[in-house]
Amino acid sequence: MKTTIKFICNDRVISTNIHPAVSLLDFIRKQEHLTGTKEGCREGDCGACTVLLGELKGNEVIYKNVNSCLLPIGDVAGKHVVTIEGLNSDVLSPIQESFISETATQCGFCTPGFIVSLTSFVLNTNHFTFDSAVESIAGNICRCTGHISIKRAVSKMLTFIDPVFNGNRIEDLINKNFLPKYFLEIPVKLKGLSSETYEGKAVNSPEFVISGGTDLFVQKWEELIKTEVSFIPPSGDKEKIRVSGNFVIIKANTTITEFKESEIINKHFPALNEKLKLFGSLPIRNRATLGGNIINASPIGDMVNILLALDTKMYFIKDNGVRELPLNKFYLAYKTLDKQKDEILDEISIPIPAEDCLFNYEKVSKRTYLDIASVNSSILLAVHNGIINKINISAGGIAPVPKLLAQTGEFLLFKKISTDNVSEAIKIAMQEINPISDARGSADYKKLLLKQLIIAHFVTLFPDFVSIEELV
Amino acid sequence: MTRKLIKSVINIENKEHEFIGEVSLLEQETWGKNDTLKIIGKEISRIDAVDKISGTASYTSDINLPGQLYGKFLRSPYPSAKILKIDLSKANALKGVKHILTYENTAKYKWYYETSFLLDPIVRYEGDEVAFVAAESEEIAEEALKLISIEYAKLPFVVDTEKASTEKNIKVHNWGNIVEPSEYKRGNIETGFADADFTIEDEFRTSVVLHNPTEPHCSVVNWDNDELVIYDSTQAVYQIRELAANALGIEQEKVRVIKKYMGGGFGSKLDLGKYTIAAAIVSRELKKPVKVVMDRKEQNLCVGNRPDSIQKFKVGIKKEGLLTALQLNSMGTVGAFPEGAGLSWPAKTMYKCPNLLVNEKSILTNAGAARAFRAPGHVQGIFGLESLMDECAAKLNMNPLEFRLKNYTEVDPVSNQPYTSKKLKEAYKKAADLIGWEDWKAAGSSKSVNRIGLGMASQIWWGGGGPPAHANIKLDKKGNITIYSGTQDLGTGTYTFIAMVASEVLQIPIERFNVVIGDTKLCPYAPVSGGSMTAPSVSPAVRDAAERLKEKLMDTAAILFDEEKNSIKYSNGFCVNSDGSKKVSLSEIAGHLNEQDLLIKGSRNENPKGYAINTFGAQFAKVEVDTLTGKVTVLKISASYDIGRVLNKLTLDNQIRGGIIMGLGYALMEERIIDENFGKVLTTNLHTYKIPTMMDIPEIVIEIASDYDPMISNTGVKGVGEPAIIPTAAAIANAVNNALGVRIKSLPITPDKVLIALYVSK
Repeated sequence: MKTTIKFICNDRVISTNIHPAVSLLDFIRKQEHLTGTKEGCREGDCGACTVLLGELKGNEVIYKNVNSCLLPIGDVAGKHVVTIEGLNSDVLSPIQESFISETATQCGFCTPGFIVSLTSFVLNTNHFTFDSAVESIAGNICRCTGHISIKRAVSKMLTFIDPVFNGNRIEDLINKNFLPKYFLEIPVKLKGLSSETYEGKAVNSPEFVISGGTDLFVQKWEELIKTEVSFIPPSGDKEKIRVSGNFVIIKANTTITEFKESEIINKHFPALNEKLKLFGSLPIRNRATLGGNIINASPIGDMVNILLALDTKMYFIKDNGVRELPLNKFYLAYKTLDKQKDEILDEISIPIPAEDCLFNYEKVSKRTYLDIASVNSSILLAVHNGIINKINISAGGIAPVPKLLAQTGEFLLFKKISTDNVSEAIKIAMQEINPISDARGSADYKKLLLKQLIIAHFVTLFPDFVSIEELV
Repeated sequence: MTRKLIKSVINIENKEHEFIGEVSLLEQETWGKNDTLKIIGKEISRIDAVDKISGTASYTSDINLPGQLYGKFLRSPYPSAKILKIDLSKANALKGVKHILTYENTAKYKWYYETSFLLDPIVRYEGDEVAFVAAESEEIAEEALKLISIEYAKLPFVVDTEKASTEKNIKVHNWGNIVEPSEYKRGNIETGFADADFTIEDEFRTSVVLHNPTEPHCSVVNWDNDELVIYDSTQAVYQIRELAANALGIEQEKVRVIKKYMGGGFGSKLDLGKYTIAAAIVSRELKKPVKVVMDRKEQNLCVGNRPDSIQKFKVGIKKEGLLTALQLNSMGTVGAFPEGAGLSWPAKTMYKCPNLLVNEKSILTNAGAARAFRAPGHVQGIFGLESLMDECAAKLNMNPLEFRLKNYTEVDPVSNQPYTSKKLKEAYKKAADLIGWEDWKAAGSSKSVNRIGLGMASQIWWGGGGPPAHANIKLDKKGNITIYSGTQDLGTGTYTFIAMVASEVLQIPIERFNVVIGDTKLCPYAPVSGGSMTAPSVSPAVRDAAERLKEKLMDTAAILFDEEKNSIKYSNGFCVNSDGSKKVSLSEIAGHLNEQDLLIKGSRNENPKGYAINTFGAQFAKVEVDTLTGKVTVLKISASYDIGRVLNKLTLDNQIRGGIIMGLGYALMEERIIDENFGKVLTTNLHTYKIPTMMDIPEIVIEIASDYDPMISNTGVKGVGEPAIIPTAAAIANAVNNALGVRIKSLPITPDKVLIALYVSK
């Protein structure tokens, strides 16, 4: 086992024996004195600490923008970290040029994070549209400009891009000054590193097994740097998302971005892509995993709410044994799980819905993006000749655990879609829930809101069969 | 004599301040309209942009001095308690811990207007400072905090503003919970109500909100022999110098405060931090630099906020729309230490209303102390007043804009003085046209699921700036020009406009000017960057300095050419003699000077006497409300302002848009929430305290209604930082009311309030 962490930071190979749970942000600011990366909130909410994280896939390096404050350095081993300093060269990049000409920087403290996130955008996107470029910086907060000059800079930046890349995108981006030349050497350098990659401490029973860590490092980072941690190893050659019979099988360490962009998921669950924009921000989605969201057991987790409605099953491994458990049986009480300490969630499976199945997800929060729901709800249903013959409704924020509204579903099964039936179902749903008052709203409000969200499901999916005026 | 010493009174952040200082007597004529100028008013990229987009700009939190220690405060977990016992033994034993300050081993440095100390045995809010650790690393300092054992006697506490205002038994300070109640009277309120055809009574509320600049508060301090050097993330280098010297009991001249780049302030960085003084004490003792950086939680607990408000109005109106009387009783919490929560200036000054009675109270509660926050008082006050004005208009079935125009005033209603300039009518018209106000319909006209609404609000603020404000300009023998001023750039564009003003006068490119600001040792005095007074105070001083330099250059050229001075012409950095046969450049003149450097002092002029100086503006909002979920989406904001002359169109647009979006946050999502059972703040990070993101941004259109103020200074500039945020929340709230036909009377207008108003309260 190798306990030295080696990675490339900008154009240099770094070798360190620091504790693997130390945040990359602390390492680059304090040890490497790369102060262009800023600490704004230390919780992944402001984006001032954004860096690029490049991972070797075959002969290519795939870069994502991530929050370095929530990134344990142990998980950087064998990868390429790019800070704002690593994007500077003799000439300004078109992104930097655009920020200057549009005065998209004011106090400037958030600016490096924006430049890094937009660089990630040009490295990754297949949609060089204004809207997708803006979405890519939704996790970067500016308190001075009102974001509008930044939007202008985004428009301007797009004019420097020819969306058709001739072969190697990185080469093209270097030729257009988006990236410095040393990026060309990175794949070879990373390959050199991979043979001596850090394997984590030889820990038999680590206190924490980290998969993503975007919430764990918010809650417990001080504890983590004093304890034994290990990281879910890469999945090897096996695809993280695959189809097996009538099921989609997903590795627990699949990131939300990988899930959202998977061809398989988009083919079988076309409604999800748009809805998953409401999950955190892009840098969070780039690190947060399905498994992490499930184990975290938040009553209002976005992903869990969706997976509950999709009849998800979980597969735990322990000593070569595998245990199967439906997701809706997993949460016993608030943050209490049907899981032994040494069991690790390995995979989940979702049945592929029949072609006529419909899905909808609704979430209301005080801020539309980058926020936790006050209440959320998913619905999956199939209707034949106006009769519901399959239905799941889940709800979050209305009980100590994420919940499948079983009785509500049962009532609607084999019934017609009608105003009366939806109205009756809402009454049943109100009996199934037990919200508390907190910073996200009063208990009464959450009840009212769930009612509204159930109405929203039916109004969205069956506008011709229900009367919104009567339901509200 | 081209200077004189005067006393001036300037309102900064809602408080009147007296200054004695020198003003310039040179009567440079105010420039003409911007289209007659070469640089001023144009879209000029900021001169500090490259530092910022490359990450090489060094902020206070990026500064590290050799051998520095790291400081951290231990903070009270309780909203009210007495410290009974402190045990430092374990913390002191931790390797790398160098010093720990507590009230037991530290002199009684007075704090909060002498109501408390730097370290006080009584803690009055969650986050109050208990001990200060200096250690070799930040991690060790944090570890040491956990090893300090404190025995507290918990005391009863009060965190609710209304409750604290009437509470007899629980007192934040032994003298009570109410800070200096104030009263203002104009005319006769009883007669005013008797004259009215209608009276309306209403109540509006706003929440405590937090500044949350992206860069946390921080200082790096070091003693250089007996000189204290403070690198501070501050909006006020000279004020910090004065406050720090007073706190430590040393000469101001022995303190140097430096600030180059800072990550925003919005008022929260106008005050001296306890962290700065604690660091200075330890640094003096150990002869090492000390660095202290707040984390986001400390930021949201301990370095200021905007008070909440409860505004009770009674208003009398005539059938034809004239205000006859206005009564306002308001209160707001200032946290655990005396500050002001007053908000009545808009009620006193926005409209012509002959009879007024205002009573205001600032209430103490066991929470972090308030600090100036971008237009303190006005943001709350305009929300209440402008919501009320809409209710008045609705009562009369009148268009809200028409109602406001009926009550328009041409003189300041408090002083009865005329304004140096007021182009509010023009601003109303421009902003109304930009939003499509002709489509306005009475509230509640729409019955669809998603309802569109239009609303508007007016704005008033000071923002004229004033003396003393100085700028030195230095020409060295090589022809390099440096401008020094003890002002600061919060990101607003001070560096850039200073170079622009000098460039306009001396007719040479902006790149030729090196601008040095934010250093009390190198730069002459300039005011705090608060109160929207940086540009109106500093730009005239810079012009004064540049004009004086131009004069001096022409004097020198006259000697070189052996001609009369008045025959010399200055153009584009050259002096030319009478027949055009001789020409000498600015750099050549510098080379001829036997003085090594030519250092010239410029100063701001005195403000005109007998006039009120104010900024004015209006914002109009178009919103969509989803009645199913209660979600409000702002679709468009239009804004128009009288802010005197525009210096730089690019940075002006940023300032206005930034203010509008901060106002949008105030309207829809920002609020500090305290758990009343435990007195703890629930919104200490950026996840729970929500500020607008890229995805919340509406279309914003801006037109400036003013060319320049003809009277206040040689540049005719008024400030814009605060005017930008003032009317936004009121405009949005009025638009939401217009969409729904139901008024949400408390901010923020979150989805829960909308749903409850629509389905529960009705």
